[in-house]
Formats: sequence, structure tokens, C-alpha cells
Amino acid sequence: MKNKFKVGFTLLIAGSFFILSSFFQRSAPVTSYKFPYKRAGLTERQAAEYLVGRFTYGATPGEVDSVMKMGLENWFSQQLNANLTDDSLNKRLAAYNDINLTNTEVCHIYPPGFVIRTLAIKDSAISKDSVDKAVDKKAFNAQIQAYMDKKGFKNDQDLYKQFIDQHIIRAIYSQNQLREVLTDFWFNHFNVSFFKGECAQFIPAYERDVIRPNALGKFDQLLVASTKSPAMLYYLDNFTSVGPPPPNTPKPASVQPKTDDANMLMTGGNKPQSTVKNNPADMSMMMSAASTQPAKPVKTITQPGKNLNGLNENYAREVMELHTLGVDGGYTQTDVTQAARVLTGWTVYPISDYAYGAAMKGLVAKVGEDNLAAKGYVHEGDFLFTPNRHDQGEKVVLGHTFLASKDPNVGYQEGITLLEMLANHPSTAKFISRQLAVRFVSDTPPQSLIDKMAKSFIDHDGDIRQVLITMVTSKEFWNKKNIDAKVKSPFELAVSSARALNADVKDPYPLFNWMAKMGQKIYYYQAPTGFPDRAAYWINTGALLDRMDFGLALASGQIGGINIKLSTFSKALANDPQAAVKDYSNALLPGDDPNEMTKELIPLLNDPAVLAKLANTGKQPIKHDPVATEKPVIGAPGDMALMSAFAESQSKVLTQAPVAQPLVNISTNNKMNANNMRSLIAGIIIGSPDFQKR
Amino acid sequence: MVSRRGFLKSGGLALMGIGLMGGIPGFLAEAVAREQIIKPYGKRKVMVCIFQRGAMDGLMAVTPFTDTYLQQARPTLFMSAAKSSTPGNPLIDLDGHYGLHPSMKAFEPIFREKRLAIVHGIGSPNNTRSHFDAQDYMESGTPFDKGTNSGWLNRAVGLLGHDTLTPFSAVSLTSAMPRSFYGDNPALAISNLQDFGIQMRGNAVGTDLASRSFEELYGQSSAGLLQNTGRESFEAIKMLQKNDVRNYKPANNVVYPNSALGNALKQIAQLIKMDVGLEVAFTESNGWDTHFNQGTENGIFARNVADLSNSIMAFWNDLDAYQDEVTVMTMTEFGRTVHQNGTGGTDHGRASCNFILGNTVNGGLIHGQVQPMSTDNLEDGRDLPVTTDFRSVFSEVADKQLKVNNDRILFPDWKGEKIGVING
Repeated sequence: MKNKFKVGFTLLIAGSFFILSSFFQRSAPVTSYKFPYKRAGLTERQAAEYLVGRFTYGATPGEVDSVMKMGLENWFSQQLNANLTDDSLNKRLAAYNDINLTNTEVCHIYPPGFVIRTLAIKDSAISKDSVDKAVDKKAFNAQIQAYMDKKGFKNDQDLYKQFIDQHIIRAIYSQNQLREVLTDFWFNHFNVSFFKGECAQFIPAYERDVIRPNALGKFDQLLVASTKSPAMLYYLDNFTSVGPPPPNTPKPASVQPKTDDANMLMTGGNKPQSTVKNNPADMSMMMSAASTQPAKPVKTITQPGKNLNGLNENYAREVMELHTLGVDGGYTQTDVTQAARVLTGWTVYPISDYAYGAAMKGLVAKVGEDNLAAKGYVHEGDFLFTPNRHDQGEKVVLGHTFLASKDPNVGYQEGITLLEMLANHPSTAKFISRQLAVRFVSDTPPQSLIDKMAKSFIDHDGDIRQVLITMVTSKEFWNKKNIDAKVKSPFELAVSSARALNADVKDPYPLFNWMAKMGQKIYYYQAPTGFPDRAAYWINTGALLDRMDFGLALASGQIGGINIKLSTFSKALANDPQAAVKDYSNALLPGDDPNEMTKELIPLLNDPAVLAKLANTGKQPIKHDPVATEKPVIGAPGDMALMSAFAESQSKVLTQAPVAQPLVNISTNNKMNANNMRSLIAGIIIGSPDFQKR
Repeated sequence: MVSRRGFLKSGGLALMGIGLMGGIPGFLAEAVAREQIIKPYGKRKVMVCIFQRGAMDGLMAVTPFTDTYLQQARPTLFMSAAKSSTPGNPLIDLDGHYGLHPSMKAFEPIFREKRLAIVHGIGSPNNTRSHFDAQDYMESGTPFDKGTNSGWLNRAVGLLGHDTLTPFSAVSLTSAMPRSFYGDNPALAISNLQDFGIQMRGNAVGTDLASRSFEELYGQSSAGLLQNTGRESFEAIKMLQKNDVRNYKPANNVVYPNSALGNALKQIAQLIKMDVGLEVAFTESNGWDTHFNQGTENGIFARNVADLSNSIMAFWNDLDAYQDEVTVMTMTEFGRTVHQNGTGGTDHGRASCNFILGNTVNGGLIHGQVQPMSTDNLEDGRDLPVTTDFRSVFSEVADKQLKVNNDRILFPDWKGEKIGVING
């Protein structure tokens, strides 16, 4: 009780301090810091372009001007506060009605497919003999659908689609761009993956409730929130990690081999009779039974002592290696094992029967919902600490001793102490600072910058905003050689194109497909490391060609669900590609000198000799948009006529074609349509090397 | 980064680039290119990996049919090799003890020719029964470390030991980059080779102009990585265009199954025959998670093994003169329970089996150890125990096929023995 009171009181003080401090920040529009870009030889416009390029998903038309008008420091401060009203975004988000569901609601409305099948068999809505039989698949699906309708179940893939859609919409339209950029950064830092079915359902709430609200907050709060989230507990298996039972106490609720309970669910309780639960008691029974029988020993290569004893080290290892200290952060394998023991008993409150849900439900029912706190359980939202699964022995992590204790109230606090220790460790300060500098400055940020940021991290107790201020007020940040140092990820390329062209995105999912094709299937990166944040990872032959194709497809209106009015940016006629290059270069690459691009492109686009030669040799097969489902238009007649028409620059402005139509309607006119010329040029610029840079 | 010099130096390609840009007449450039591009790299040794996602029931694919414990554990799933006991097709008796599923009859001749080997009891030392975790561990090659960012096949590419990597050295015929290919060495994931290139749908002129414009812009770009990769990309397009991807005709009148796997293997065969530098190929086969009604001689499992064996044999016969260069290896994350479950299927287990095909394979044999399946011989009392670490087989195939023998990099933490699945 005493402990609880102290924690509550501290929270109260911390909370009021937070409110006060944020009040001061809001009421003080003039920042106390200055960006040293002039000393680095940058004009205010160049500085504004760089700033916007790094802390947003790309400038929208006119954004750089408005940042200059407002003052660079004020703009940055506003982004740090992340409290701009987002009316137009919210209007678009209203289309995604299930993105605000709680985890419990998700489990009830969107159970995974195999759970639905199992329930349908239980409720006799389908016969178990019909599952996976080739005969009459249609009838089977209809039965399943009818069952889902009756129960109010929806297809979980629809939820994931809504979630991905809303994420892209936020990135394109949110006024609070930095918060979205950092939401991505931290999600990737604390990566979880749709690949892992066990955690997939919990990912929407993870980003919404754990990552985004803490993206500009304190690092320790973000860390603790991620540790407690079902998505992370399932992704890195801590939900299953159990300490040894204390002597002379009843066995913990469930210590079994990590057969997924999905497995159990599917068998409808008809587990193979021979299944032996792998708890220590049963194991020893098995061993002794084996030793009394002269059966041949089985030469199994399963390594004992790694996963068999109920302790799972996966989370403990990655929280040190990837989330806090970094791989060279000065911890040992012993620290990993000891930290894993500290975190035993940190699991998921029973949300559904999935995974350990059923076992935990039984446990909670046995203890009694109202008695949980009194017995040392901690139930916070979807998180549950269960003292009977916690290792009560002495543990030493990074030199800190957690004394052996039989007090059930001590266990949870050990975990909090461990996480605070990790969050505030000097290695963590350096590691997080480095990650941020890699994200915002260059793939190889200077050590002097990392040191400054790490000091700021320590001085301000892991306040992410303060670390960012230190970064952006440093001379290293404004060093000219950093300006071209970052290459856009596929996500950034797609989103920045949509922003630069003021696209009206009605359906973002085709953009997701393109991102995947270009090498970034967001939310599906399998490893806990997250996507590597460096140019060499993104730029390879296949991916680079896909980026070029993306530019062409987007600008020629071939990506469904997206409307772009290219004529807003250029009224150039078909016989004036030079003007179009200039206009679209200004729109898409506001910092660049359009003459450079013109010099390189115009001889190609405007030289009749080149075109004539092309007419003689160019017999490349026409290819189709691989991401769109429509069939390609093959061997369209009139190509030659079209080319010579273009070469001779004989053109008329045609009425504007609807955006989603094929690029060239060759059979009906021999003239290069102005719109088509413009989309070609805009597409080339989106696919150009300059637009790949942030 | 692995050196790109080898690729950039391939002279004909560079000339081709200049030729198109003017200076050398197009027809001359074409002629030069035709001489030098078509087979720029010569034959290379190729390792083709097929991941069977979902965990194949190794005990049904290759059944120890003399095991009475297994027969009792699977009252409706057990198949016999005796001609009379099963209505329809019995198992194909391989050696008096093991029987091949009848839907894999395509494998029988090549097994008898000793070019197909089977390893039974293969799996991971980590006893996880989660698909995700087990696939992750198998593909990273580190069964107890989730934080390994690279995949084992990507590390294999880094260990090839020569500096003539091409954009097609490592190709995965999948829509997304598989975990096995994660890492710093160049790798390409593509589901359809025809998509490789600049394309503006329905517009040949636009495609040409855009292609030429991009080539110019990337060629003139100052950024090292973008410029180099841009050049490589356009050279790679030309390599593929010299070979008509669209009108590919398999050798020996081979007809591939009209399935995802058949289609992927067909494209891998094309890449091999183009001599574009392919050395590590990957693709996958789905639908092996047979909890419900997996069937016996008919049903979902039978369809899956038919597709697997027919696709692989179509690929093999299509390779024709290239058979000496290629080894195919299958893998799956774990096996399935010895006992059938209450819904006519099997649940997540431990060991499974895999197939290795090639002219140097120590074939016609079932390698590995499978004990009689009495309860006390089973892992956790329910599963076929893993007796061969997947890494001992993977590392042997990589070593003998690709001369990749630095196991400390390929499979850190592994210090096991190889079991002789490949001769020599």
C-alpha cells in the first residue's frame, strides 16, 4: 500500500509539472533558440527547405514560404508541440470507422480466420468435415460468411487495410507532420510485425495508444508503454515467460512448451492423448518413466535449458540490444538472462481465448477480479502482471541487485526499476541519439553531434523534444554536406509525391502496394530491428526501377484512388516541354535549379533526330502497370505517327482527359496531348535521382 | 557494399550504353551488344531454395510405414505401401521402410537415379511451435537470436568469394523480400520478370522517352549510390531484354503446373538459362498448415505435394543442359504432430523432412534418424524429435554447391557435423 501511494503521489506531481510546463510552452510562441544556418552558408530559403524536408513527409505547395513567413524556429516549435488542429485530416479519417477500436473490441469483432472456423464448428454452423475440402469451396465460404454476419464478425484483413490506409492518410494530410514522422521512427525502433499472427490484432492500438502519444514525450514512458503492450508482449514472447515456481507453492498457471494455443483451439480440445505438459514436474516424471524403461534414447538436438524451463529471453535481449543500450551498450548474456528473470510474469490481460487467453482467464477468475491488486497482480488496460509467474529469486542486471523477495508486491516494481535503469543509461542516451541523428541528419552522423544529443538526453531525462532541439540548433545539423545526405524510403517517396502535387487521395491502399513493390511493405518487416534506415538498403536495381515506374504511374493517373491535377502546376503546351520541365521542377524540387534538369532532358525530349532514330530502333515491348490489375494495352497502333507528331512539335491543346484514363489514346488522335506530355515530365521528375533525396 | 566493379566492367554493356546515347550508330551498338551481352557471365553454380510455409507433415510426405506406433497414432491418416490395403494408390515403397506419398510419384524416378535425397527428422534446435518464430529462425539461420538482421542466404551471397555480383546474383521469386534475403548484399525480389524495366502502361513512346530520360538523369547524377545503381539498372534491363522473357519456351516440351510455385520455378529456369549471373534463387510454396482434413491420397496435402513434386520436376527437366549447375533444396519450419487431431489434420510439431535434388546429391537415400514412434521416443511425448539440425544440411549444400564454407558467418553459433547429403 505504502509503495502504491508513493507511486501515485509521484505521478501526480510529475503530471502537474507536465501540464504546467506544456502550458508555458504553448503560451510562449517565441522560441528561445536560433538555428545557426547562416553561419553554415545557407540562405533562409535553403534552410527552410532543408528543415521542412527533414521534419515532414515533404513540402506541400507553398509550405516553404509559409514556414519562412512564420519563422523557422517558430515553425519547428509548433511541430514539437504537435497540437495543431487537424480538421481536414479528421474528415478524411472518418472514413475508417474501426481504427479506434480497443484491443478487446478488435478481438470480438475481428477474430482471426481460424478462430472463426473453430467457433463455427462448435456452433454447428459448418461441419468440421467441410474445412479445407476441395469440394464446393463456394458453399463453404458462404456458410462461413453467413456465420460471420450472424455473429457480427468481420474479416481481420479489412481491419489491417483500414489501419494501413489511415496511416498513409495521416502522413499525407496531418498538420502535425513531425509527430507522424516520429511515430514512424519509434514504431520502427520498437518494431512489431503483421507477419506474426499472434501480435497482428494488437498493432493498430499499439501505434495509436503506445507510439503516437509518446512520440514527442519522454523516452522512459515510451519504453514502459511498449513493454506492457500486447503487441510487443506477443511479438517478442515475453507473455509466455515464466520463472521457476517458488518451493512449496502450487504450480504456476501454465508452464507448457510453446505450442501456440491456436493449436489447442483448433483441435477443439481433442489434444493428442500423449501430450505431456512440459512443466518441470511433468518433465521429471517423464524422465524417470523413461529411465525405468529400457527404451532406446532418442538423439534429439533440441537444446535444453534454452526455452524449456519457461524462461523466454527474447524480449530481454532485444530490449537491450535494439530498444535501449544498443548492441555495444555494455551488457552481457548474463545480463540478458537476469533481465528476462526480472520480467517474468509480465503478460497480457485475458482479452480473448487466443494464445494464453484462456489460461489467464481461468487464473483471473480464480483470484477474483477484485482481489487482483491485493494479491500483487497489476492490471492496467491490457497489461497484467502475475506474481505467481514471477521469478522471486535474486537477480543482478548491469550491476544492480534485485534482492530475492517473497513479497508478491515487489515483482512488478522490479520490472519498472529495470526499464527505468535501461531508459536512463548513458549507452541508451548515445544509442537513441545516434538513431535520431541517422533518421534526421545523415546515414553516418558525426560523433560530435551524437555526443551533444546524448548529453541533452541525460540532462533532460530522456525528453525527446529537448534532444531534437539540441540536434537542430547544432552546427553539425546545418552542415551543407548533409543537405543531400538522406535518401527517401519508399514510404517517404510515395507520401512526398502526393504532398508535393496536392493529391486528393481517396484510396491510399494502391500506394501501399507500390511501397511494398519498391521494397517497404510497411508493418510487415519481420525482424525486430525494423527497416534499416540507410540509403544502401533502399537503393538497389529492382527497387530503383520501381521508383521510376512509380513516378510515371502516379503522374499519368494510373494509380487508382488518387486524383492529381497536374495542370495546377503547369499550363505548358505540348510543344513546350521546356516550360513543363521548369514548372514541375519548381513544384517537386523547389530547392533545385530547374535549368539543370532542363539541360539534361530537353535534348532528349525535343530533338527530332533522336526521335527519328528511336522510331527506327525502338521496339520495346509495352509494359503494364504491375500493381494495377488492368490488362496492358499491347501493341497500340499509331506509335510511329505519334512519335513523329511529337518530334515535329505539332500540337494542339486538347481538352483535359480524365486523370485515370490511359496515358495516350493513340487511336483517336495523332497529336501529343499536352496533358500526356506533362504527366510524362512530372513522372520523370518524381523518378529522378534528385527527388529520391529527402 | 559488395563490389560492383565486375558488373560495371562488363565492357559490352558499357558500350551499349554509349551507343544509345549517340556517338555510335544504334545498329553498331546493337551488333556489339548481341555478341557480348547474351551470355555475359557463363554458367554459374546455382542453389535454388524452396520454403514450404506452414510446416509440412513430413510423416505423410515420406512415411515410415513399418512403424506400428505411427499407424496407431493416425487411424484415418496413415497410408500403407501394400498394394492391397489401401483403396487406390498406396505409398511408393522407397526402401522397405519409407514410403513416398503417391501424389509425389514424379519424384520416384529421380530418387531411383540417386539424384534425389531426403533428410528425415530435420528441424531446428529451438522447440518453438510458432510458425512465425520458427520461420524467422530458419531464415535468419540463428535459432536462438531474433535480433539477427540478415538472412542466411544473403550472407551466402556475401561469401560467394568473387566480385562479379550482378543484379541477378540473388533473386527471390516472391512479391516481397523474404527474411532469408534480408541484409547488405544485393538481392532482388520480383514476382514477375516482365515487370523488370521502365514501364508506362499502354504507352510505348512514353516508356521509351522516360527510359532514356531516366538513364540520362541517373548517368549525370552526382550522388554515387544513385548514379551507380541507376547505371546498373539500365544495364540489367538490357540483359533481360536480349532474352525474350515473354515468349519463353521450356525445353523438352515441359509443361509447368499452373501454380504459383510452377510459375516461380519457370522464371528461375529462365534466369539460369540467360546466364545473367544467378547463383542464389529463392521461392516459396504455401498452404502446408494442415490442421483440418489433410486427407490421404486425395485432399489438400495430396494436392500440395503433387504441386511441389511436379513443379520441381518440370523445372529439373526444363533445365536440360544446365542440370549439372543446379541444386534444389526444400525447407519447412517444423513438422506436425505424430497423432492426428480431432479434425482430420495434424497440429504443430517438431521434425519434418526435406528434399535435395541435383546431380551431385548423395541420392536414393533417406538420411537422418527416425526412431520408432513410441511415446517415450517422442519429443515432449508428442512430436517426432529433431535429430538433424537444419543448419548441417543447409551449410553442406551451400558449401558443396556454391563453395560457401565459412560457417562462422553463414551460421554463427553452430558447430555441428555435416551428414553427407552431397557427394565429394
